[in-house]
This record gives sequence, structure tokens and C-alpha cells, in this order.
Amino acid sequence: MDFYLGLAQIIGVHTLLGLSAYCVLLTGQVSLAQAGFFAIGAYVAGMLTVLAGWSLVPALLISALVSGAVACAVGFPALRVKGLMLVVATTAFGEAVRLFFFNFTYQIQAGNLKLGPHGGEGFRQIRYFPENGWSTLDVVIFIWIVVALVMAALWWLDRSRAGAVLRAVGEDELAAQSSGINITAVKVSAMTIGGLIAGIGGGIFAHYTTHIEHIQFGVVLATFAIAYPILGGLSNVFGTLLAVIFIQGFLIEGLRFMGDWRNLLFGGLIVLAMNIRPRGLLDAGTTRALKRLFSSGKEPSGA
Amino acid sequence: MRNATVALTALLAGSVLPLSDGPLAQDRTVKITGFGAKSGVVRVFGVNSEAAMKAAAEEINKAGGVTLGDGTKAKLTVEFLDDRCNAEEGISVVRRIASTDAFVAVGPTCSNVAESLFGILQKKAGDASDSGLQFPIIADVAAKGGLAKISEWSFRNVPSEFEMYKSLMAWVKATRPELKTLYGGVEKDFAHSNATFGVMKAQAEANGLQVAGTSEWLLNDTTFSTQVRDMKRANADIVAISAHPFTTCGVLKEMQRQGVKPKLLIGLTSSSSIETLQGCAAQAEGIIIPTSFAPVTPEAKKAAEQVAKHGGSADLHSAAAYEIMFILKDVIESQKIMAKPDTVQADRNKMREGLAALKETNGLLGKVGRTADREAIKPFLYVHAKDGNWVVLHKPSS
Repeated sequence: MDFYLGLAQIIGVHTLLGLSAYCVLLTGQVSLAQAGFFAIGAYVAGMLTVLAGWSLVPALLISALVSGAVACAVGFPALRVKGLMLVVATTAFGEAVRLFFFNFTYQIQAGNLKLGPHGGEGFRQIRYFPENGWSTLDVVIFIWIVVALVMAALWWLDRSRAGAVLRAVGEDELAAQSSGINITAVKVSAMTIGGLIAGIGGGIFAHYTTHIEHIQFGVVLATFAIAYPILGGLSNVFGTLLAVIFIQGFLIEGLRFMGDWRNLLFGGLIVLAMNIRPRGLLDAGTTRALKRLFSSGKEPSGA
Repeated sequence: MRNATVALTALLAGSVLPLSDGPLAQDRTVKITGFGAKSGVVRVFGVNSEAAMKAAAEEINKAGGVTLGDGTKAKLTVEFLDDRCNAEEGISVVRRIASTDAFVAVGPTCSNVAESLFGILQKKAGDASDSGLQFPIIADVAAKGGLAKISEWSFRNVPSEFEMYKSLMAWVKATRPELKTLYGGVEKDFAHSNATFGVMKAQAEANGLQVAGTSEWLLNDTTFSTQVRDMKRANADIVAISAHPFTTCGVLKEMQRQGVKPKLLIGLTSSSSIETLQGCAAQAEGIIIPTSFAPVTPEAKKAAEQVAKHGGSADLHSAAAYEIMFILKDVIESQKIMAKPDTVQADRNKMREGLAALKETNGLLGKVGRTADREAIKPFLYVHAKDGNWVVLHKPSS
């Protein structure tokens, strides 16, 4: 049981990472900076609980704010470029963040131990969960409450005028601009929201892995971040969740029994899935079909 | 589309079902699960560990197997899982193993994985306020210093690199007093290499060597011209490379291309392996490395042959995995472990207590001491690359 609960933790945190990229993708931008925001959240939250002795929730709020602020600051210059140039710019930012933490050392003496980030050797002993008696189930419940809140907020956003504006920019930037939408403001807002979510995800990640180091926040993680919403589909937030379950639950954990063949199948099955479902695992058509399925039994009798 | 869905569902179901397939005491087999990197640039370590564990299990089974707590004999079987040198996967793998009837796990390969998963273990055994996982893990490869002290459930059978390089640098000072300067090269993004370089550098300075500079590169780098150019400019007497075989060979080849010929080459423990010789035997000629394994005793020779039969190569890491299987056999017998589904947590506690109580174990090069913080004090020697082989250069203990 503990294994499945652990897997649920991973799926929850990666869903947050995927949702952070989902926000940006809604505006038609591909950002590889999400791993950088995730790293900032991880280090900030870890330092607040380990070095400052804060509780987890305020530490996560601060990590979200810091990541969001950095995303906002990065968004202004980065989002003035588009397409491949933006991919290059955001990749460079992600690598810059990773290399910052690669060189970042800030340790304090606690008894006979030194605590805090230690450059390339990482930041160990982020043991808030076990030290405060949280069981694996408690951690899972906490993570999924956060995931549910974030998904609900994005669901609401998607159905609000702001969501329509985001999608309008994503569908046709020129048309959106012609109708008076401030493109830069919309893109930077999406980047900021993405940064906030990545900051929370990173903060939780640091606490369930107990040790973080720069190498975890490289291009591979950034690629996973955008792969989740692209593979899952951008019609709604559940696509990202479905893609995370597919990749983390099935491709990585489910196929582990296949040994060396797993790595070969990993790439092959993603390509297969994208060919079978080119608009995402949960595209607009499937969403409509599901809606019809669930609403068919609720037709008013007089209709 | 429907067929694809059915196929995926079947595959998913098939992947989940094996979880309930734990080792059953009734058929008198005990499964020991190892885990480590079997993918990526360090996959060879996982491959070697698996082969070593299987070779040792075969030896133990040939000798009658292991005696369980109820007096019955059981055969050992080995399963090995790939964590891809990834901390999240390492945690997941250990949770998977801990969800079965397993009472111990052997691994991991990478120090960054060990950092994370030792962190999720209960820090102090019996501390009710700490909800960490209560499951003993004994590491064979993860070599970064001081990892076992993270949790009382974590153990290691890896050599102390601090002692090795302390001894080596003192030996260099005593036998080659004309060497005055050292230049370092480090695989900076790999926790083990980076931490060990700190040890090398500190010990070099402690023995009066002047560190003339350091070049840095990354585990996945394939070009080293800039770093070697700096090395050439420093013109140091000794070049100490703290990197794994893949980049060690890249650097050595670039040194040859640029004509860098130090008077002495020193390497990282993990590079005293067959991979270095396969990759760059000519360029590595003369490199000195301290290691806790060489086929110099009858036991070590036999182990090397057995590991080779199972498709691996015996080196200081896989030899540790081989030794661990015999350590586990002894602890199973001394702690009277039952290996039954209804005694899982009791068996885990007994295994932890048994491993913690060890003062000395039998190693392939001789007796291995155990420290209070659950680390090993292993005998070691210096080897150097000579004519495409690792040849013993010096035995510090003799």
C-alpha cells in the first residue's frame, strides 16, 4: 500500500509541474523554464522549513510567491520572443537557475550537523514530513488537496473571461491583439501563474524527496513539464493529470517489471500515444463525449 | 482504437499484478532485492551489482543455502530493479520493495539517490515521533562520504575514500618527494566525484602539495579541450582526476592529444574498473587508484570468476555487493529471521539490529571493520594500470 501512496505523491507533484506549463501553453507559448521555477520553489521552501523552522504551508506560500515573482520578471523579456526563440530563452533561464543552485551554498551549524544547500552536493535533511509524524497517507492527502485546489482554480479560470482571453491569445495572437487584448500582459500573467504553481510543486517535491540538488532540475524535468499538458491535451486541466498518470504511473512505474525493455518502450509508447491521440489523451472531442455521457441521464423529463 | 485500449489495459494490469508476488516463506526461498542504475551512463554499475549478487547467491545456495529462524533451509534468489540513478525513482523502488515481504534491500548505485531515500527512512530507530520508513537498506556502490549516518536504518559496505586518499597522498609524499604540485580535474555535477575531489584536494594540501588549479566538467560532457588546456598551462607534477570511467577516458584522451604528461596520475576509486581499461587502456597507463578490490586473494579470484560468469565485472563496487550477500546470510542466521509474511516487520527490525551490531565482517580482501555510524572500514590497496590490466602497486596495510 505504501508503494501506491508514494506513487500518488509523485503523480500529484508532477501534476502541479504539468499544470504550471499548461497555463503558459494556453497562450500558445512553449516554456522550458518551468523546471527553473520548480527548483526555486524547492530550495526556498526547503530553506524555510529546515533553516528557519517554518511550518510547511507558509513555506509553500512564500516559495510560490518567490517563484511567481521570478516568473513575472522573466516573463517580460522572454515573452517578447516567440516560437523556437522562446524555447531557447526559457531553456537558458532554466539552466541558469540550475547552475545558480549548483554553486549556491548557505549552511548553518545545527549541533554537529551543517544544514542547508551545499552547492553541487545538494541540500539534504529536508525531513519535515517524517519529523512531524506525517504518515505517507497524510502526505498524499495534503498533496492532493493542493492539487485539487490548483485544478479547481484553473478550471474556474478557464471558464472565466480571463481564461477566454488566454485561449484567444493562444489560438490567434494577431486576432486577439486586434480586438484590444494586451498580449504581453496576458502572456506574463500566464507565466506568473505557471511560476506560482511550479513554486508550490517544487516546495512539496523537496519535502517528499528529502534531498534536492541541481541535477534534478535540468532539461529532462523541463521537458516532462511541457510533455504532460501536450500529451494530455489542452482542452481542460484533467488532460494533464491523465498524462502524468500515463507517464509516471504506467510508463515509469507500471513497466518497471520489464527491466531493460522499459526504457525502450517508454519513448515508443509516448510516440504511439501521440499518434493515436494527436490532440492529446483528453481532447475537446473526448471531453464533449464524456459530458454527453454524464449528462444523458439528467435530461429534464419535459424536454 | 478499441484494440489499442484493450492492449494498454492488459499491459497495465500485468504490470501491477507482480506487486503481490512477494517472496513466500512456504517454498523456502528468500528473495533479496537489489536496486541501482541499469540505465544511463552509470548503468554498468547496476549490471555489475546484479551479477555479483546473483553470483554470491549461487555460491550460498551451493553450500546449502541459508538457515532460517525456524531451522529450515532456504535458497536465496535475487531480483534487481532499475532506479535510473533518479532520486524519485529510487524512493519509489524502495517503497515497492518495502510493500512486499522483503526484510532488506541492497543498493543504490548513485549517491544522490541514497541521499534521498536514506532521508525517507526513520532517522532514529524506535523513535515513535518519526514516521519515516522502517526498512533496512545496505548500500554497495553509493560512495559519497557519510551517507549512512542519515538514518539508523541505512548501512553501507563501501570503502572510506577519506582513508584511502589520506593514505595515498601520504604515500606519494613519502615515495615521491620530488613531486610538489597537483592539478585537479573533477566531474563537478556528480555528487560522488565532487565530494571525493574535496577529499583528494584536502589530503594533497595536508601532505604539502601545492594545488595549482582545478578543471571542471560534467558527467555527460564529451569534449574536454578547454579543461585540458588549463591543465596543460598549470604544468603540475601530479594530475588527480575525480571522475567516473566515461569522462576519465575522455579527459585522458584529450590529455594525450594536447601532450599533457604529468609525472603522476591519480584517479577516482570508481575508475579502477574494467570500463576504464576498455575505454582508454593506453591513455590510462600508469594511473594510480586506491581500491578495495583486486583479485589478489583466493576468495577474490573466485568471486571475480563467478561475477564474470553472470555477465558482470568484479570491481570495488560489485565486490561490495558480493560481500553483502554473505553478510546478509550471516545476519539472517544469527538473528533467526523467519522470512514469513506474518513476521515481516519483526524480520526487518531483526535485520536492522543484526546489521547494526556487526563489529567485523568477512571481505574478499580480508576482515572488514564496522563503525558505530554503520559504515565499513575496508582493507584497500593501490592499483595502477599496466599493459591493459590493473596491477597491484602497493598494499598500505602490509
